[in-house]
Amino acid sequence: MTSTNDLEAILANLHNDEAIRVRIMLCFALLAFTFLGGSIWRIQVLKASEYRSSETRQSIRRVRRPAPRGRMFDRNGVLLAGNRPSYSIAVFVEELRQPGRISNTVARIATYLDEVGTTIGKAREVTHDEIAIHIRKRRPLPLLAWKDIDEVTLARWSESPRNFRGMDIYVEPVRVYPGAPIAGHTIGYVGRRDWDETDTPYHYYLPDIKGRAGIERTLDDRLSGKAGGRLVRVDASGFKYDEQVEIDPVPGEDVMLTIDVRIQRVVEDVLLGERGACVVMSPRNGDVLAIASAPAFDTTVLKNAARYKAAMQDAGRPMFNRAISGAYPPGSTFKPVVAIAALEAGLATAETMIDCPGYYAVGEARFNCWRTIGHGPLDMRRSLEQSCNTYFIDLGVQIGYERIFHMASALGFGRRTGLGLRGEVSGLMPDDAWKRKKYRDGWRKGDTCNASIGQGFVLASPLQMAVFVSTLANGGNVMRPRLFAEAGETAGEIVNKMNWDPDTLDVVRGGMLDVIHATTGTGRLAKIKHVRMAGKTGSAEYGPRSKRKKYAWMIVFAPVERPRYAIALVIENALSGGRTAAPRVQRIMERIFDIEQGIDVDLAEGGA
Amino acid sequence: MLAVAGVTRVAKRFFTRMSWTMTFAVVALLVIGVFFVYSACYVSEESPVRLLYKKQMVWGFAGFLCYWALAVTDYRHLRKLSWTFYAASIVLLILVLFVGTTIYGAKRWLMFLGIGVQPSEIAKFAVVFVLARKLSRPGLNLAEPRALLEVAGIALVPLCLILLEPDFGTALVFVPMTLAMMYAAGMPARILGIIFLIGAVLLGVLMAAMFVPPALGVTREEHGDILKWIGLRTYHYDRLAVFFDADLDPLAKGWNKRQSEIAVGSGGMFGKGYLKGTQNILGFLPRSVAPTDFIFSVIAEEKGFMGSLTVLGLFSVLMVSGVRTALSAPDKMGRLLCVGFLSLLFCHVFVNIAMTVGLMPITGLPLPLLSYGGSFMMVTMASLGIVQSVRIHAKQPKVAFQQRGLWGPAVGG
Repeated sequence: MTSTNDLEAILANLHNDEAIRVRIMLCFALLAFTFLGGSIWRIQVLKASEYRSSETRQSIRRVRRPAPRGRMFDRNGVLLAGNRPSYSIAVFVEELRQPGRISNTVARIATYLDEVGTTIGKAREVTHDEIAIHIRKRRPLPLLAWKDIDEVTLARWSESPRNFRGMDIYVEPVRVYPGAPIAGHTIGYVGRRDWDETDTPYHYYLPDIKGRAGIERTLDDRLSGKAGGRLVRVDASGFKYDEQVEIDPVPGEDVMLTIDVRIQRVVEDVLLGERGACVVMSPRNGDVLAIASAPAFDTTVLKNAARYKAAMQDAGRPMFNRAISGAYPPGSTFKPVVAIAALEAGLATAETMIDCPGYYAVGEARFNCWRTIGHGPLDMRRSLEQSCNTYFIDLGVQIGYERIFHMASALGFGRRTGLGLRGEVSGLMPDDAWKRKKYRDGWRKGDTCNASIGQGFVLASPLQMAVFVSTLANGGNVMRPRLFAEAGETAGEIVNKMNWDPDTLDVVRGGMLDVIHATTGTGRLAKIKHVRMAGKTGSAEYGPRSKRKKYAWMIVFAPVERPRYAIALVIENALSGGRTAAPRVQRIMERIFDIEQGIDVDLAEGGA
Repeated sequence: MLAVAGVTRVAKRFFTRMSWTMTFAVVALLVIGVFFVYSACYVSEESPVRLLYKKQMVWGFAGFLCYWALAVTDYRHLRKLSWTFYAASIVLLILVLFVGTTIYGAKRWLMFLGIGVQPSEIAKFAVVFVLARKLSRPGLNLAEPRALLEVAGIALVPLCLILLEPDFGTALVFVPMTLAMMYAAGMPARILGIIFLIGAVLLGVLMAAMFVPPALGVTREEHGDILKWIGLRTYHYDRLAVFFDADLDPLAKGWNKRQSEIAVGSGGMFGKGYLKGTQNILGFLPRSVAPTDFIFSVIAEEKGFMGSLTVLGLFSVLMVSGVRTALSAPDKMGRLLCVGFLSLLFCHVFVNIAMTVGLMPITGLPLPLLSYGGSFMMVTMASLGIVQSVRIHAKQPKVAFQQRGLWGPAVGG
């Protein structure tokens, strides 16, 4: 009995011992699970953000999307610069990828493009290397296989019964200038924007366009808008998986210019075949209604390397904007400045008479009047009408160069007008200090004689002359010329108020009216029906004297009673202001008033 | 009438005695498994891979049938079959070395009627059975070297055959499983201590063979020869080296480990949402392993820490309910069967999750009930079915354990 009981007890104990062992093992297992749970807590909760950022780093690519560029309109809402959708055929490489090496995918895409090419009738335009580079560097982005395809190709593509796997039409905005080459110098052109260092957070930079010249450059900030971004999620092989918009691009602002395309076209027509420039301004607020330089600059040449090279080497320098960058001696158009300086100083009146024997003598030297037989005695109004050199040289010497210099400077000569286009020159209003610096020689009487008739060292751009004639037209407000109005700015910006005596203006304007309306006036060829105009011609010699090359000038404003238009025009290598510039001014003015009367010029009509 | 009464009696016994807790945990894990196998594969470009979840459903269902079938069968009837079963599995293990399908340089699969079978999985099952039978034999003294060698031999024969495939991870699982069963069978603690000591020394030699030669500047080829001499291959070294230094080769062998860690870590507290695991969708977590060995990273990424905790919790429930069964087992063999199968389950769960979260080298052990895979599913379900059978067939269900509870005072204590 006892032994069986003992045995049972031993068995029970043994059993008990084994039960404890099983429990110990369970404890161990649960402890191990707890340890696992703790480790997972550390990874998933404590270090979650760390892992999340490495996850993002390896699977998210930021792609910059350029914003649509703002458009440019003329003052009547005619489109000058806009965007056209450019259709490209794009390959989405992720859909054509092949297993294995990248070169398999490259080969596949190339043969596929060859197939598609035969369908749409265009040879493959991307090389193996380009495909490989694209896959290596811009894998999640579409590869543009045919860029900017024409309508025929587009039609063939869309009407093809074949289903092109992994390909699609990709639309990109391209800058267009519908009226080109109208106002080419002013509008300017765009180019690809360089990599902006501050944009580094983007993995892929789709370059947008940047204004390189003209208004495109000046107003680039307003036109270009703000680029947006997309987040492209890539898979383990770096191909695009999906994408989402991160920031929407903010489209660029539209800009309305002060240019009137109709006047601009007239001006460009008139300058056709010449070398020269013309600026039409509103004297009331400084609006530049037309600004042209000939030969015209056609922005489309930039797309063709050969034509661009030809344009760069052209002796006529079509890339050069003579209207703002050309510094010409103003010649006789400068004479009103001398007249005003004298009248305002009280050193002369309308009745001041000077006798012109055909020259003005300074010591041994003679300054010839253009009328070598002389004008005889002249008063101020007639001297302006006749543009007598002797009169103004004499007057200039009488009042002294100092006064001329100050008046001219106040009128904006020798200083940039602030139009806002790059390349504007300041012209030159010389003085003693300038001459000493440049020629190591003091100011002489002969220099005063030359300056009094707008020759010698004095230089002005057509734009400066337009500002000057505007000042005469509006009664003494030097306006800042403008090509675009800032928000809320309608009246225009007055740079300087001259506060001239009304009599002064009467005399000068009277003389300038006679220039056109007197039968003997030097600018009588500019006369048009119904509208009274005031102007001044000028012929400035340049180059070797033997060649007798002249710049033909004319400045004019109209109507005299209530001036709305001020024009400055210069033609290089011309006969004279009266014979070369005046008839052209006439054509311009005639058309301007036609336009004003509603006898419109067809906007769609070409330059010829 | 009699037959109906018999079936009713069996059914009543079955439904009242089985551990519903365990069944619940098993079903829950199976369902989770199907859902996340779907999630791991639904973005795949190959349609058979996308449809893996359906196959997993079929396997789960088949496994469940097996689970019920074995649960109603008295495990003691299977005792006589155990050696036959063991012999068959050894034959299969030898067969696989000659006619097995080579995948990733290892011969692990036998193709039967288009279905791949891993003999190593069957071997695990057989070894547990034979060990349980051997260790429950009355009068076996585990302090005797002869007995020890016999027991060890039972495990070592299939282990070595599996090492030859080679399948290092599966082979290694035999060691803790056998030790656990021996321990539960009452092996003296000092013997266990000696075994651990020997194990530590062997591990030391192994590590030395792996890491000392490269540190001394031995070429890769020579190192490969040294490793071969102790039965290892260079890829074992590579895996282990990557474990200790993930930056060693982040784009090749360290990739899986790194990406799995990122998947788990980026899941955060609540995860990215079902079917929204980007690591998996974008293929950073390789598609070939996401539904199998790395199913836990998919769950952890999409369901976060909460998901991880749920999975760990369900496995803990399985363990606890299994141990309750072990404690209530009517005989030693039943208890040892439970211990053996539970230790197998534990080893797989622990090693797999630890590998997924970067705590252990990549060994290629699947996660029971969750990972995609037929053989392993069947073996797991069968083993759990037997645990359930032990519970159902306990003679006096209210005696040993249920009165005392899991942690209650021992009888006669």
